[in-house]
Amino acid sequence: MLRIEEEKGPQKNFYTQKVLPQKVVIPLSQHTGSLPKLLVKVKDKVKLGEILAEPSSFISSAIHASVSGEVKDIRIYNHPVLKKAKVVIISAEKNSSERFEPPYIRGEEQVKNMESSELISLIRNSGVVGLGGAGFPTYVKLSPSKKVDTLIVNGCECEPYLTCDYRLMIEHTESILKGIEVIAKILQVNKVYIAIEDNKLEAVKRFNSKLHTKKYALPSAEVVVLKSFYPQGAEKQLIYRLTRRKVPSGGLPFDVGCVVQNVGTCFSVYEAVYFNKPLIERIVTFAGSALEEPKNLLIRIGTVLEELVEREILKFKKEPEKVIFGGPMMGIALDSLDYPIIKTTSGVLFLTGEDLDLREESNCIKCGRCVDICPMNLLPLEFVRLVKKGLWSELKEFYISDCIECGSCAFVCPAKIPLVNYIKAGKEKLKSLNKT
Amino acid sequence: MKLIVEVSPHKKADYGIPWLMKEVLIGLAPVILASIIFFRIRAVFLIISCLLGAVISEEVWMRLRKKPSSLRDYSAVITGILLALVLPPKLPLWVGFLGGVISIILGKQVFGGLGQNIFNPALVGRAFLMAAFPVMLTSWVEPFSLDAVTKATPLALWKFSKEFTPLKDLFLGNVAGSLGETSSLAIILGGGYLIMRKIADWRAPLGMFLGMSILSGIFYLVNPLGGSILFHLFSGGALLGMFFMVTDPVTTPVSKLGRFLFGLFCGFLVIILRKFSGLPEGVMYSILIMNGFTPLINRLTKPRPLGR
Repeated sequence: MLRIEEEKGPQKNFYTQKVLPQKVVIPLSQHTGSLPKLLVKVKDKVKLGEILAEPSSFISSAIHASVSGEVKDIRIYNHPVLKKAKVVIISAEKNSSERFEPPYIRGEEQVKNMESSELISLIRNSGVVGLGGAGFPTYVKLSPSKKVDTLIVNGCECEPYLTCDYRLMIEHTESILKGIEVIAKILQVNKVYIAIEDNKLEAVKRFNSKLHTKKYALPSAEVVVLKSFYPQGAEKQLIYRLTRRKVPSGGLPFDVGCVVQNVGTCFSVYEAVYFNKPLIERIVTFAGSALEEPKNLLIRIGTVLEELVEREILKFKKEPEKVIFGGPMMGIALDSLDYPIIKTTSGVLFLTGEDLDLREESNCIKCGRCVDICPMNLLPLEFVRLVKKGLWSELKEFYISDCIECGSCAFVCPAKIPLVNYIKAGKEKLKSLNKT
Repeated sequence: MKLIVEVSPHKKADYGIPWLMKEVLIGLAPVILASIIFFRIRAVFLIISCLLGAVISEEVWMRLRKKPSSLRDYSAVITGILLALVLPPKLPLWVGFLGGVISIILGKQVFGGLGQNIFNPALVGRAFLMAAFPVMLTSWVEPFSLDAVTKATPLALWKFSKEFTPLKDLFLGNVAGSLGETSSLAIILGGGYLIMRKIADWRAPLGMFLGMSILSGIFYLVNPLGGSILFHLFSGGALLGMFFMVTDPVTTPVSKLGRFLFGLFCGFLVIILRKFSGLPEGVMYSILIMNGFTPLINRLTKPRPLGR
């Protein structure tokens, strides 16, 4: 079990601030699955929350305008995950309405009386995807092919620096619970776990006090306090810890009767169902030693980092040397600030020299620290050896495809070997070999 | 704005190989100190000659191969000191120097340097000297004696004249033996430090402890002349091997179970060699033999991935 310095304060204690962008760059792909079908063209006027592209197949997701304004361009642009991808660029109207005006408001009674299929289609039309990282379309997870008996709500947030889920749990406890209610109803589970690490006891307290009111149709809900360690929030590990069920290699949580949803996703489900509100904004943590003031912002999807810096919403006290989309363990380092925030962006870190470890890679001393720490029980050092030698087919014998790239091995390696780098290279090579 | 782009993770543990090796040096400190207390200036000189042999050959090798100096990782220093600690105090200094050279060149560099070697370099050096200078390597002196009064080791006394050394002497270390092997107390202190600091994993030492205890216990029950469990643990190189050799990361298995099994079989072998071989001691050969089995143990103890 890996313990990493948390670095979650002071942003942990700041109320989330709202930011409205002047321009948004909205990638079509912000999820796992096929590209949605574009419904707008250049020069179209769009309203806040209007659909821009609709799901094209069973695993896909809608995207929506996150500001009211005019579609300026549809082109290839920087993408934090895919590097380059198709986007819709919208410039906001000068007096664009600040708030999303719900076209429809449903009361609790109304929601209770809705059919599962209606709920799922609302969630689908709202473009809700998993906000924890992978961006798997939520409506797909809510239509499992197998009987599911357990819902796990993931509020672990085990990556250092990130506090967006924590703030959401503090500021919107009831809404999250209402979202959980909807999900539990759709899946008809008989057990709900809300998993929170022990470094977020305030959130635990709030959930518990709300649950005690018995206002929610969640008789079997239980807040589970987990000792914080990394990677607590990894899906398979979390399922195993809570239920002792092992998701088979290459399988999905469905296969062991579980569904895992991030707290942020539950909140978006609530907004979609109660207000017809599409996923147009999310909380993002901005932190790192280069920032004057780390903070959490409620930010519109598609907001470009550069704008936040130019408008001095983010101020640097030192020039950042590394900018990371996501947490420090699994996040992606970017080459400029010209990247949009997307649905799965939980944080952006601006690191300076003092946070960076630039020691050079040396020989593996086979100490086995990577083996001891690997949450998947793999032999990470073997991947490095085999990739270096180009023994691609042997990589399979060591189950390289099971690696979740959590980075624990590279963190503990005393030889400073960038193991994830080698593992990614090995996986890519295998993929290209399989194609030919 | 120039930004560094590299693959995650973007945070890493503070420690590195040089730090680990320095910690090992701290763990070795009580052992070195004990050797100086018991064997005085001889210990100092022998440690220095082995150290010089190791460090100089490491540097020369790297320069000849036009590679950056590797002295900063301290591994050559550790090898030199460990070698000295398993040699007899009366050994001529040039033999110690030669041992250091052999340890580094034959024990490590010919395999490709740090992390690549199969056998424990210090033990390779000692095995070489044992073959080349058998008499020198088995001549022992009494502790505290500057004029080098010859004295047999407790294991030799046991094996050849059925004479038992008091446990108290074995524990404190005022018996004949290799520089760093005599004082069980000092080794337990230093080794305990390494385990508490998690520099060394406890599984291999535990395995060796159990292996030796089980087998020597059985033999003792059959015939008390076989030597008690504590006698076997506290004499010869058992404890030094247990804390400083089977915990060597490079030459031992990578999985937890593998490390335990490695230690366990080392323990069995030590007792078997002590009982049935022509030599009184068997720690060095046990560990070298098991080093050879490390790849096999790694293959047999491959952990099962979650969900398979």
